[in-house]
Amino acid sequence: MSTAPARGRTAPEVTCASVTKTFRGREQSVTALDRVDLRLAPGTLTALVGPSGCGKSTLLRIIAGLEQADEGSMVLLDGISPDAMRERGEIAVAFQDASLLPWRTARSNVALAQKLARQPVDRERIDRLLTLVGLAGFENAKPSQLSGGMRQRAAIARCLITSPRLMLLDEPFGAVDELTRRRLNLELPPTWADTGTTTLLVTHSIPEAVLLADDVVVMTARPGRIAATVAVDLPRPRRAAHLHTPEYHRLVDEVGTLLGVDEDFEPSTGGQP
Amino acid sequence: MTLAPPGIERRATSGGAWRERVTIPPPPTRGQLTLAGRAVGGWVALILVWEFIARQVLDGTRLIAAPSAIVVDAVEKADLYGRAFRYTGTEAFWGYVWGNLAAIALAGLVAVLPITERLVLRVALVVFCLPLVAIGPILRLIFGLGDGPQITLSALAVYYTTLVPLLVGLRAVPSNWLDLVHSYGRGRLTALLVVRARACVPYLMSGLQVGVPAAFLGALVGEFTGAERGVGVLTILALRSLDTDGLWALAALSSAFSVIGYVLVGEIGRRLSTGQPPIILAPPPARTRARSAPRRFVAGVFEATWMTGLVIGAWALFFWLFGLNSYFAKTPVDVWRWLISDVDAGAHRVEIFGALGSTVAFAIPGYFAGLALGVLLAAIFELSSSVRRTVTPVAVALRCVPIVAIAPLLVQALGRGAVGTMVVVALMTFFPTLVACMYGLQQTPGQVDDFFATFAVPRWRVLLLAQLPAMAPAFFSAARIACPAAILAATVAEWLATGTGIGNLMAVAAGTSVYGTLWASVVVVTVFAVLLYWLVEVVERFVLKRVAPEQVSW
Repeated sequence: MSTAPARGRTAPEVTCASVTKTFRGREQSVTALDRVDLRLAPGTLTALVGPSGCGKSTLLRIIAGLEQADEGSMVLLDGISPDAMRERGEIAVAFQDASLLPWRTARSNVALAQKLARQPVDRERIDRLLTLVGLAGFENAKPSQLSGGMRQRAAIARCLITSPRLMLLDEPFGAVDELTRRRLNLELPPTWADTGTTTLLVTHSIPEAVLLADDVVVMTARPGRIAATVAVDLPRPRRAAHLHTPEYHRLVDEVGTLLGVDEDFEPSTGGQP
Repeated sequence: MTLAPPGIERRATSGGAWRERVTIPPPPTRGQLTLAGRAVGGWVALILVWEFIARQVLDGTRLIAAPSAIVVDAVEKADLYGRAFRYTGTEAFWGYVWGNLAAIALAGLVAVLPITERLVLRVALVVFCLPLVAIGPILRLIFGLGDGPQITLSALAVYYTTLVPLLVGLRAVPSNWLDLVHSYGRGRLTALLVVRARACVPYLMSGLQVGVPAAFLGALVGEFTGAERGVGVLTILALRSLDTDGLWALAALSSAFSVIGYVLVGEIGRRLSTGQPPIILAPPPARTRARSAPRRFVAGVFEATWMTGLVIGAWALFFWLFGLNSYFAKTPVDVWRWLISDVDAGAHRVEIFGALGSTVAFAIPGYFAGLALGVLLAAIFELSSSVRRTVTPVAVALRCVPIVAIAPLLVQALGRGAVGTMVVVALMTFFPTLVACMYGLQQTPGQVDDFFATFAVPRWRVLLLAQLPAMAPAFFSAARIACPAAILAATVAEWLATGTGIGNLMAVAAGTSVYGTLWASVVVVTVFAVLLYWLVEVVERFVLKRVAPEQVSW
């Protein structure tokens, strides 16, 4: 099921040490991340969950080298900097809104990634990959002609085409409906299994995190800190059947408790009409 | 943080939407067919009313030519007109090409070196504000006979309205698209070539579209300044011989010429665009860092100073490079002497500022009348969707009528006094304002409309509370661009017809070789136009901060 030969590559190890990020505004500064330590084991998928504004996406962008962390922070990908890894075209990022270029067809959007990564454009492989993600027959469709789910799948194909060693997924399924999301969750991860890829997934969805990840990292907000890491040892490949196992539910509950979803909220005492 | 890229429907498909869904453009519905019918009906009605008024109401007054008389004149002189339009059209074409190439080159410079943005925009504005009426005779001296001045003026009339939307388009790119490029280790240049260059196409096309009538207008003004042939020459001849039918025929053909070019470029734009083509012509005022009022003032004075220095330097450098004759090519120092330090400087000042004063006295009321009428009509059209549908195509077509071509005719019809100039200026301001406001009124988010609908709020209150604020950015961009246009219209009208004001002063100075007055007038008019533009910008920033803060602080 894998899309590319692993080419004997090893997946990179990602190390973040005391990563701090402060956004300086006019009146006040906001500490988005406060001395975050994180390690992504080679070849694993780590899910980052947390409330809105806890700095998940910021951390992902720092690992991608799209954002600079504050002084004293350290991010190393197999011992080299994110910038150096980007220059080699070994990173791929999937964004929340697919971010396909609207004037390009699905095929040419995928081909663009190869061009940007300075790889020869392999049309045959692009079409195979598009078929794999379920877009056979839509190679020449423009993004505006695709449904939301189809766009996300094209974006994933664009991510995979360069055989990245590090894949950074920033809520790639955030904009699709629940049913489509579940479906993408089950169908897509096998396409990059065993390709020597380390993956970081930022998500709001606890079930999604548990279903996809080897490790679920729980963050808290203001300032963004890592609260806990939960190891998920469900067997791979993950299937829909796993969704009904007690182990899965226990993990979802555990992550949920760490995030505080079970807390009772005080009813408002204000005089409501 | 994410803008919806044009043409992409961002709504997630609702439940059970796994089935592949491809959107196919629907066939023209009955509504759209009626729409075309209404447009045709609107035109036919307009022409019938026109014919009636010309034949019955104003017969024998030489005010208006009837449509039938225009057609007869055009057919009779088809050969003459054909040659003139081929000549002027060729000039306008080359001016259009050069002006737009210059705009694209400047925009490319800003895209690669963003630090130059303010500089490029300001200098471009100053050049755009140069009075074409005075630049024409000066270019005539440099080029001699031939089509050099026409092409140059045409390029000058075009480039700014391309540059400004182009810069907006180059910037208005969802940040994710840029991050995508950067995530593969590529830099600004790749982002420019792969993402920005293509994403800005709809903006570029809207600029190119507006440029079509402007290019024609520039070529006409160039011909007014002493060409041997072309539409401008025929216009002046018709004006002198009081040939009303001829004047109207030339104006109608000029308009038709511009409309065809406008529609053609618009059609190309529609083919290339992946979504709604934007009509916004100018960006919101450039972002400024938050500063206290006194510091802002100091920074503004500082900027104005170095900008003035730069323009003066460029002016001197230009003369030195081309080795221009100091008899007609007056340097900044000469102008300073003429206006400030000479013995006669006082008299010169009285002459020039007096003329400017009489121009301004007509141009400013005309400008405000045009703006007010544009907003008012747009609002009225908005209240009745059937009126709007009928009027929109007519308004868009009239927007590209080269007002300068009909300026002589209006002045002839309305008399050489104040009214003529005022009407020309008002028209020059009115059509772009109307089109921009009609577009702006449509910019209210759909949810806001729905929100008002849930309370059954009457249409006029929705207009007042939601749509007018949403219209503000479009209105102000039109109002700003209209400042130099209004001055151009006023000076052309004065020069060709009324024989008053600074337009006439410049024409007389050029004709009698008083180059000191000519150059000093250029400086004074340019400074005035830039100041007017800047004033509108200040008001715009003040208003937008209240009604559309997202347009100011980004």
